Amino acid sequence: MRNTIIWIAVAAGLVALPEFLSYSQQEILVFLAINILLVSSYRLLTLTGEWSLAHVVIMGVGAYTSALLTKAVGLYVPLGIIVGGVAAGLIAFALSYLLFRMKGFYFLIGSFASGEIIRLLWRRFREPFGGSKGLKGIEAMPDFSIGFHRFDFFEPASYFYFTALVVALCLWVLWRIEKSPVGLTFHAVHWQDHLAQASGVNVRAYRTLAFVVASGFAGIAGALLAHYVGTINPNSFSVEVMVFVLTWAIVGGTRTFYGPIIGCIVLTILNEVVLRELGLEQTRPLIYGAILILSILFMPKGLEGIVQKFLPKQEAR
Amino acid sequence: MIELLAQTGLNAIYGASYISLVAVGLVLIFGVMGVVNFAHGELFMAGAYVVVALYAERFVPFFIAVAAGLIFVGLLGLLMERSLFRPLRDNPLGGLVASIGFLMILQSLAVMGFGVRMEHIPPVTQEVIEFSDRVRLPVARLYVILAAVVMLSLLSYFLKRTRFGWALRASAQDPQAAALQGISVNATAKIAMFIGAGFAGLAGALSAPLVSVTPHMGHSIIVTAFIVIIVGGIGSLEGAVLASVIYAVVHTFVTTFYDGVLADITGLALMLLVLIVKPTGLFGTANRA
Amino acid sequence: MMSILEVKGLTIRFGGLTAVDTLNFKVEEGTIHGLIGPNGAGKTTTFNMISGFYAPSAGEILFRGERISGLPMHEVARRGVVRTFQHSTLFAELSVLDNALVGTHMSFRPNIFAAIFGRDRENRRRAEQRAREVLEFFGLADLSNERAGDLSHGHQRALGMAVAYASHPDVILLDEPFTGMNPEETEQMMGLMERLRAGGLTILLVEHDMRAVMGLCDRITCMSFGRLLAEGGPAEIRNHPGVIEAYLGGARHVA
Repeated sequence: MRNTIIWIAVAAGLVALPEFLSYSQQEILVFLAINILLVSSYRLLTLTGEWSLAHVVIMGVGAYTSALLTKAVGLYVPLGIIVGGVAAGLIAFALSYLLFRMKGFYFLIGSFASGEIIRLLWRRFREPFGGSKGLKGIEAMPDFSIGFHRFDFFEPASYFYFTALVVALCLWVLWRIEKSPVGLTFHAVHWQDHLAQASGVNVRAYRTLAFVVASGFAGIAGALLAHYVGTINPNSFSVEVMVFVLTWAIVGGTRTFYGPIIGCIVLTILNEVVLRELGLEQTRPLIYGAILILSILFMPKGLEGIVQKFLPKQEAR
Repeated sequence: MIELLAQTGLNAIYGASYISLVAVGLVLIFGVMGVVNFAHGELFMAGAYVVVALYAERFVPFFIAVAAGLIFVGLLGLLMERSLFRPLRDNPLGGLVASIGFLMILQSLAVMGFGVRMEHIPPVTQEVIEFSDRVRLPVARLYVILAAVVMLSLLSYFLKRTRFGWALRASAQDPQAAALQGISVNATAKIAMFIGAGFAGLAGALSAPLVSVTPHMGHSIIVTAFIVIIVGGIGSLEGAVLASVIYAVVHTFVTTFYDGVLADITGLALMLLVLIVKPTGLFGTANRA
Repeated sequence: MMSILEVKGLTIRFGGLTAVDTLNFKVEEGTIHGLIGPNGAGKTTTFNMISGFYAPSAGEILFRGERISGLPMHEVARRGVVRTFQHSTLFAELSVLDNALVGTHMSFRPNIFAAIFGRDRENRRRAEQRAREVLEFFGLADLSNERAGDLSHGHQRALGMAVAYASHPDVILLDEPFTGMNPEETEQMMGLMERLRAGGLTILLVEHDMRAVMGLCDRITCMSFGRLLAEGGPAEIRNHPGVIEAYLGGARHVA
């Protein structure tokens, strides 16, 4: 009961939040919600011990797919977003045949190479991907009325509500998976893959499952981004963005579900509030790089380690 | 047609030269220290910018600027060794991530120091060797080729014939045994890092007049370097050199007859193929990875 | 009658080294079968081949007459042959109960869609029930919520076996289960194994502790330098000159 009250309070807070923020700050909220989904989906992947460098590119697959389909076929945008997620999952499935023959470091490099190839394909083919310039004029979420209120999704506040809803749903699914026997098996595969195999777990199938599901949600995040910003190009999904995701995950810590989310929120606030106030946004990569290094050196447990000190001792999962 | 092939061949030799310098540096670092230096492309970039700062902006003689580039980037390598790789010696994945952080810092510094625009530096010499009407080799490129040949030969001699070189090779083979023999892990790490980084810086410095210098030029260099060391075999210096030649040939020919992006894709596909079929590459030893 | 597990002409080569050379032996159902030999004899390698960790270079392994050699580990496990590991026996970060739950994986296969929508409640309940039963059997029920890595050595070993047992296997391969145990823990473990055998389980174990081996095993296979040295009941093996000599080199005391 207490938990339900907390969640209702959080939800109410999120609904009220845009009222207190300026236009550009509301925009940041939209990106924050999308990034939370992105980093949480990345965490599912790291649950099985795989660190891929293709995650952001797969997000782009979702973005491009939804953008192209909604324009070419007139697909209803929310459906487009779902299809974007599915497409990303399918690409991940295809890649898994290649990548899961590689372990550890090789998987990392292999995923990096796969991501680069996809980005090069987007750059090479002006039809249909728009080449280096990418796609412009992506369909926006159509306006939506429910009786008393008309949602104009050009407004960041409205899109934030939509995105927050979608992201909340996705996070709920990710949470359910983690707490289920499937999630337990992911942990088992991560820590002792041989022992898991000896218990009958098809380790490769589970790694693929985590990869595909994580990629699907990344695709949804990508589609959400595409329909808000209206333009995407291969640089929207570059290594630099991948490094941001890595930084959020590492700084926040990946042992808990909320670790990467904390990392994302803290670093986004750092970027938007601190750096923007000081006029230093250009130094963002430098600050991120420094934070990444300092994190690895001095705070390997991540921010979640700090949070965990304040929470009551929980069961060891 | 013959002439086209010959010209493409010359382009390939030039490409193989600077790529092999970079790749050999990366292999050296990985072999001796067990860590993958993701910032290696940015070290190349740093070398190029030293030449921009000294030769293009302050008219320091070219070869002095190049030497300065080599030393400066070598020192950067030492900085990385001391601050990143040494504390993270037990955690190679952490070292990799830390090198990614360093990459971001270097790129940012370059943007802040020089701006995002492309630099075009006047070539050190306009002379060209003409083998025929259609087959020409700019002397500036010849310098790169010569530098590669000389430095790689020196490295080979160093590794095979000197005590330090022997210590490096021993460390690469079996760090614990080497330590037991009294070889200082820190010393070999520092040497490997200085040489590895220095080579990348040298390649960058020499290439500066020949390519467009931007803060993001490191990206394609590191991708190429990874392709080369995977194909050549992850612990192998000879493999890196051979794979550089193979890569340069393939890339140059595909670029000439099709286009550059397709050449990039081909290179990456080649790497994926090797990763799937024989991850240890052409000459790789299963040791480190 | 067909033996439950049969090793025929089993050979494996690593580079130039032949670690196991034309090994033959049979394990009968419902028995405890020991695999012994001095260090380097190839016992763990044989184990690894039976469980599917390595594929043999030659020869085959039959389980109930069906060929299992060369199959991946999870396939071998699914057919009913499960193993424990000498090192990294457990999921140290997980709770004891969660460890046992992993063991129930095969019997109560997780389904991701059912999990998301909560349809798998019945399955999960039964899996948890099985896990608790198994923990009870191994005397670990009180420790269900403890972190597995915090357990005493003896308890960790028992948990390793519990994880293997949770999947209703026909054959359990135990990799040095008595290592590092004091006499009291050894007694308890021996009792546990006898109860398992009484329940119809077949056990194949690799072990150095001769007291346990002699006291427990119905049959013993002794290896040396990758080859079969001797096979028989405890009394035969104890007095076998070849076995005594093989061990004498390592100053072992054959009780």
